[in-house]
Amino acid sequence: MALEHDNHGMELAGNAAHAGHGHHGPAVLPSVLTAPEVVKTWRLRALVVAVVFAAISALFLLTEDGRTHLLRAYLAGYMTCFNFVGGSLALLMVQYVSGGKWGLILRRPLEAMTRTFPLILVGILPILFLMKKLYLWAAYTTKAETLDAYHKGLITNEQHLDIDYRHVMLAPTPVIVQTVLVFGFISFMIWLLNRWSLKRDQDEAAGTLGSFDKWRVRFENVSGPAIVFYVIALTDFVIIFVKSLDIIWASSVYGLQFLVAQGYGTLAVGILTLILLSRYEPMKSLFRTTEQHDLGKLMFAFTMLNIYLTFAEFLIIWSGNIPDEITYYIHRIQGGWWTICTLDVICHWVIPFSILLSRDIKRSKNKMIWVATFMIGARMIDIFWLIEPAWNKTGDTLHLIGNYGILAYITVPVAMIALWAAYYLTQLSKRPLLNVNDPHTAELLEPEHAH
Amino acid sequence: MATQGPIHDQNEVLDPMLDPRTGEYLVIAPGHTFKSVTQKIAGIVLTPNTPWAWFGGLFLAATVATGVVIGITWLVLKGVGIWGVTIPGAWGFAIINFVWWIGIGHAGTLISAILLLFKQTWRNSINRFAEAMTIFAVCCAGIYPLLHVGRPWLAYWLMPYPNTMNVWPQFRSPLAWDVFAVSTYATISVVFWYIGMIPDFGTLRDRAKLPLAKYIYGILSLGWRGSTRHWIRYESASLLLAGLSTPLVLSVHTTISFDFAVAAMAGWHTTIFPPYFVAGAVYSGFAMVLTLAIPIRKFYHLEDLVTERHLDNMAKVMLATGSIVAYGYGMEVFMSWYSASHWEFFMMWNRMFGPMGWGYWMLILTNIAIPLSTLWFRKLRVNVLYLFILSFIVNIGMWFERFVIVVTTLYRDYLPSSWGTYRATKWDYMLFIGTWGMFTCLFLLFARLAPMIPMSEIKMMLPGTKIHPGGSNAEEVTQEAL
Repeated sequence: MALEHDNHGMELAGNAAHAGHGHHGPAVLPSVLTAPEVVKTWRLRALVVAVVFAAISALFLLTEDGRTHLLRAYLAGYMTCFNFVGGSLALLMVQYVSGGKWGLILRRPLEAMTRTFPLILVGILPILFLMKKLYLWAAYTTKAETLDAYHKGLITNEQHLDIDYRHVMLAPTPVIVQTVLVFGFISFMIWLLNRWSLKRDQDEAAGTLGSFDKWRVRFENVSGPAIVFYVIALTDFVIIFVKSLDIIWASSVYGLQFLVAQGYGTLAVGILTLILLSRYEPMKSLFRTTEQHDLGKLMFAFTMLNIYLTFAEFLIIWSGNIPDEITYYIHRIQGGWWTICTLDVICHWVIPFSILLSRDIKRSKNKMIWVATFMIGARMIDIFWLIEPAWNKTGDTLHLIGNYGILAYITVPVAMIALWAAYYLTQLSKRPLLNVNDPHTAELLEPEHAH
Repeated sequence: MATQGPIHDQNEVLDPMLDPRTGEYLVIAPGHTFKSVTQKIAGIVLTPNTPWAWFGGLFLAATVATGVVIGITWLVLKGVGIWGVTIPGAWGFAIINFVWWIGIGHAGTLISAILLLFKQTWRNSINRFAEAMTIFAVCCAGIYPLLHVGRPWLAYWLMPYPNTMNVWPQFRSPLAWDVFAVSTYATISVVFWYIGMIPDFGTLRDRAKLPLAKYIYGILSLGWRGSTRHWIRYESASLLLAGLSTPLVLSVHTTISFDFAVAAMAGWHTTIFPPYFVAGAVYSGFAMVLTLAIPIRKFYHLEDLVTERHLDNMAKVMLATGSIVAYGYGMEVFMSWYSASHWEFFMMWNRMFGPMGWGYWMLILTNIAIPLSTLWFRKLRVNVLYLFILSFIVNIGMWFERFVIVVTTLYRDYLPSSWGTYRATKWDYMLFIGTWGMFTCLFLLFARLAPMIPMSEIKMMLPGTKIHPGGSNAEEVTQEAL
């Protein structure tokens, strides 16, 4: 749909800017605000990648070792995609509350990311159906079963006691109920914000102060409390589906860590989208270096927050040196895992931190494409480090020889992310790339040196 | 966040405090010029007629501050035994008040550093006195650990220096990290505060009538002439210091949270502590900024410069940080169950329903229930009286948070045989109340002797500073400024 903007008051603002700065940059909104045709090509490529990697992943079904890792790798891929959807919803709400032009330019890509939620909804089904293969609390659902497993040496005494203790929260039925509640809330918010976003542009009074005020207040009123509920919902979700892979370990900052990690990954996808789109109209005229720089700084802030929470958690647990807690890290830093742990620190923090310190890089479109892509890859390493060691209860167990199934952690998440990307690009094409009924839209048309 | 917008009807006459283009509240009231800003702010400092109320306030604050002098003198003579600290409650008021004061200082650094990096222009009206508040709060905070070491005259042993005794600080202890964190924080805060004032000291020097004032402000302004080169260096220094200060906002209170969290004590050893301590610090810091800003804007008639937009934004920051704190409390309760640890569960039960359970519920009431149920409403966020009262409530709540954390964990340890209780003595109270007086005293002196609102930064927000093609040019702007 080519959005007509004549009745939104933007042309006036644009012309005013044009009067003085015509040679410096765009003064009026581009006539067509929908995504360029090239998005279809990108979607096709994403689908091809998804199919190829899914086919490679299918080969893991042939070996027992491969089958063992397939579901775990699926969980890793699923959580990565879930983080994009949840992170985009969180960032969307944050930008409605905080304001800022970075949020205005990113709004439609974020909305498109949230609308991929149906994929997440369907994607949880294999995890729910096969939860017995992933979680001890799902494998042993009664006290008799845990006791029996303990007597057979399948679980330790501590695991047996902890599973029994947490069955109120961690058992198939309570987990399904919690998942329905979490997804119900997320889907409602996605539906509401996307619906209002369209209605905002179609408002009869669009372009007037009354309309600006009405929609700003409406979005703020809903997003503020919803952020609080989202954080609670996310905490519950990640405790169930990631943390409980290790039934003994507990850490109160886990939910917050995932929230920050969501911002980290989602911003990377958002920046990548905007830069790639900025090679074509309409984003070519709209996405200024100023906003790219601001988004780069925000991504830098998330990089810092990420390592801050992760390192603080490690330091506290390491200093406490309590057997219930420290084993979580021992399994993740001993033996071969030390390589992955080091790689995680380097890729997830050291490299993005060092690169994003540079103002020139944050303002360079070509370089930021690589940085954002790298950061998405870094998220995959982190998820791998969080998930896989939960099954290796003794150190020094990370090895490739005779353990080729572990390669599923590369193929399955790539296939899932590619599929998600294809769906995301479909959603991106469905709406104009800019929310025009916003008083700050005109500021995007100002020449850069005005700031 | 806003229950009702400012514009209800298309035909309604627009409030002059609203931006006619966006309908949002303006940061400073319209109609100000370079001259009016200078007259307003410099006039407070350079007036020969000091208000009697200021003298009254200073006298009262100085009287209360004598509690610090008496309290410290008696402690040096008798030892820390005059305090209520004893086993098992060996930390008591000393650590509670230290953390409370340090926390209050955090808003200053956040406003001056992080909001600067985020280009939040609304910070300009409040950053100066928020920075001053930071420094005075750190002064109050620093007293406690120095006295708590028992022999304050040997406090320099906390610094790692080669000595014949071959005694070094325990580098694995976060208490040693505190020494570096707090001293760095204090140093950077003072430097940032002072450098920010240099252009304004230049203005005061040029406008002062008294030779002594001219001389003092002349020295303080370091030869400021307002040349382009000066401004470039000033801006570079500000940005560099903002960059240095930003990690400090996180690191200081994180280090303080480690004082508790690295110990294997139920109620302390929890990974949520670093972010929730930082959020709590910013929460209490903004509450204190409101406590100071509201009477000052009224007393000096600064409502044009510290507007509803400022109050609203500060209240929003409190809502956000208060929600993070509430999340932290929630996670503590949840983890006390989820961890399947009897010790953790008992600690939380005891915290809520034990002999000092009243402290926990007081904390929930003042820190969470009252602020977080009311700050969602814009009408209350811009209600000056309500915000003023709320700022006190939150600071009481944040004090109780530290009280609950310190006392309830220590007085009910792992071994019932070591259980005891904690009661602060009159000397604890005297020192604590004395530091309020000291803080107020320092702040009143600052408000009288230094420009509490940065004139130079406010001027940058005036429409005259934007040079438009076909409109006013640099020359006209300069003429207007003169």
